[in-house]
Amino acid sequence: MKRLLTLVLAFALGLAAAAPAHAEGTLDKINQSGVLVIGTRTASPPFAYVNKSNEWVGFTIDLVEQGVLPSLSKKLGKPIKLEKKESTPPTRIPLLTSNAVDLIAGTMTDTRARRDSVDFSITFFVTGAQFLVKRTSPIKGIESIANRRVAAQQGSTNAKIIRERVPTAKLQEFPDQPAAFQALTQGQVDAYTNDGIQLYGLRAKAPKPDDWKVVGDFFSYEPYGMAMRKNDSEFRAAVNNGLMELIESGKYLELYDKWFGPKSETPYPLTPENRRFLIMQVVPK
Amino acid sequence: MLDLSVLVNNFTFLIVQGLLGLGGFTGGTLRLAVPAIVLGFVFGIFVGLARLARARAISLPATLYVEFFRGVPLVMVIFWIWFIVPQLLRVPIPEYGVALTAFVIFEAAYFGEIVRAGIQSVPRGQVEAATALGLTRAQTMRFVVLPQAIRNMVPSLVTQMIVLFKDTSLASIIGYVDLTKAAQIVNNREIRPFELYLFIAVVYWVCTYSMSQVARRFERRPA
Amino acid sequence: MSYKFDWSVLWSGESGGWLLQGLATTLELSVLAWVLAAALGIVSGAMRTVPWRLLRGLATFYVEFFRNVPLLVWMFFWYFGVPPLLPEAVREWLFDHGLPFWAGMFALGVYHGARMSEVIRSGIQSIPRTQFEASLAMGLTTFQAYRVVIIPIALRLIVPPATSESLNLLKNSSVALTISVAELTFQTRQIETYTAKAIEAFTAGTLIYLVLCVGIAIVMTRVERRFAIPGLIARGG
Repeated sequence: MKRLLTLVLAFALGLAAAAPAHAEGTLDKINQSGVLVIGTRTASPPFAYVNKSNEWVGFTIDLVEQGVLPSLSKKLGKPIKLEKKESTPPTRIPLLTSNAVDLIAGTMTDTRARRDSVDFSITFFVTGAQFLVKRTSPIKGIESIANRRVAAQQGSTNAKIIRERVPTAKLQEFPDQPAAFQALTQGQVDAYTNDGIQLYGLRAKAPKPDDWKVVGDFFSYEPYGMAMRKNDSEFRAAVNNGLMELIESGKYLELYDKWFGPKSETPYPLTPENRRFLIMQVVPK
Repeated sequence: MLDLSVLVNNFTFLIVQGLLGLGGFTGGTLRLAVPAIVLGFVFGIFVGLARLARARAISLPATLYVEFFRGVPLVMVIFWIWFIVPQLLRVPIPEYGVALTAFVIFEAAYFGEIVRAGIQSVPRGQVEAATALGLTRAQTMRFVVLPQAIRNMVPSLVTQMIVLFKDTSLASIIGYVDLTKAAQIVNNREIRPFELYLFIAVVYWVCTYSMSQVARRFERRPA
Repeated sequence: MSYKFDWSVLWSGESGGWLLQGLATTLELSVLAWVLAAALGIVSGAMRTVPWRLLRGLATFYVEFFRNVPLLVWMFFWYFGVPPLLPEAVREWLFDHGLPFWAGMFALGVYHGARMSEVIRSGIQSIPRTQFEASLAMGLTTFQAYRVVIIPIALRLIVPPATSESLNLLKNSSVALTISVAELTFQTRQIETYTAKAIEAFTAGTLIYLVLCVGIAIVMTRVERRFAIPGLIARGG
């Protein structure tokens, strides 16, 4: 036991010795390395996923490449490269705070609670939570999930709402979307809840899309934003400028059409309200 | 029932990206396992020698090191290096660095124990004879003890190398695209878990089994 | 922006409860998996030393295949790959009773069973062959000789290597977090997710593992002394 105590002591001392170095802004960091590191998803079509040819693509990744990167390059006066790392709901905030990534650009909902630990860009997509169920399932929405086995992503906003609104639902949390979807395909759960657009994306990419349907009215409001470390207003302004320019120039709509237009795999019309909301976020030059 | 087309279509991705680490993602089982084995062993030799040192100031830290890392799960060590070290030092560590550091630090404790046992397996008489012949302590270690010790260590060393090779699959937890993660990425899309995981099980098996066969041949070679 | 320590996150709010639940799950998972591993290990370890070729081959296949593939792959295999092949009723039962836990238990037990098998085989092989021959001469069948003579002696000989293998099992149970079993490491991360206090959470988790492992090692040293057979030493197999 004495040995153990000495060990603990040595360990604690070691930690104390590793004193943190000076803080620097994200822009300085990017300027030095020439690389913007984003944390994104590998299986959240159509926002960020690995496609059939094993390339990492998606709507959010396009937004970063065509909006945020040019804005950063302009600000720093040199070309900036993009590096992508995988982040999941349980890992994305730790990855940001530990400096492993500079920007979370995937499918993260901006919430007041999360604003305690990170800052968000302007909203780049609006959706709400629904359910993905088997085609033959009797589940119609949040009103019919009492006593049912429901899958959600660990640490997601939807999981929290279900737990509060329908405490009798048997909620099972999974570390990421594929694990939850596999649980659904195996019948381990009766429904999988996530943001509607992601469920449509998942369904479109599923081996047999017709076996599945997305049901229910939105039972939550999910505005997507890109997250970054707190209190770094210069970097945040650069990210926001990039996104605003995309919306203002109409490029956003082109990208929207590419990923969500009538000819895409996941048609998801942009409602007039959402369109106006996006445009109104763009402040004058 | 068994659908092998998923393996055929993604064979290149699984092997070239997952096993070898050549492709668009940071990854590769071999690219991680080979340096981890070499560095872990080298570091382990120092740990093992330090544990046998006469000076307590050297042997005690080495003992604590070994006892500590043999008492915690590797997954925990990976999380420490992934989340906490960058936060304390305020420098980002790429996944490859995280994984390599974690494996080398962790496995050095195990390699250290093997080295120690190997050295202790050399009869004391050998050391005494070498001393009588006028060799210094360092020379005795270098020319008499270590060559014999290493021969005695080979079986446990190879076992540990195989363990380390298998442990590299845990790098997939931090998003390093090794063989396991590559299979996971493909499975997320195709949902053919039985075929994919069985396939990579066989790939891992072929690698580890050939390691043990090479070792067996090496053991049989006369001195 | 430097890190602010706040150790109180470990006992305020739900954290303390999560840690205890995690510890309970880790122990439950490890104990059940250990029983499975010991059973598989004893049977297959003994089978590898019997004079019948077919049984030996079967056991060799099990040991060589299962212990040479990473545990993580087995976790995914048992969790994702196997359930679709099971009969409807079994599957339903598993879905209602926590599939991740049972898949993790099987993965851990079957994997470590193969490793335990090697420990037991070397224990059996270190017993002088005359013991076996003497048993046969006394009129015992091969099966009886194994049951009442060989295996009981082997089990007493292998306490040290079996202990270190059991500790490996305990530590490896943390790999089950990848299939969302809410064991200790999983709960440690949960605390970190909800409190953003990574260092405190991981220190607590690490210390619990350390205390468990060192504690078990100390108890087992006593056990080893108690069960040692004078004159027969199997250390290092």
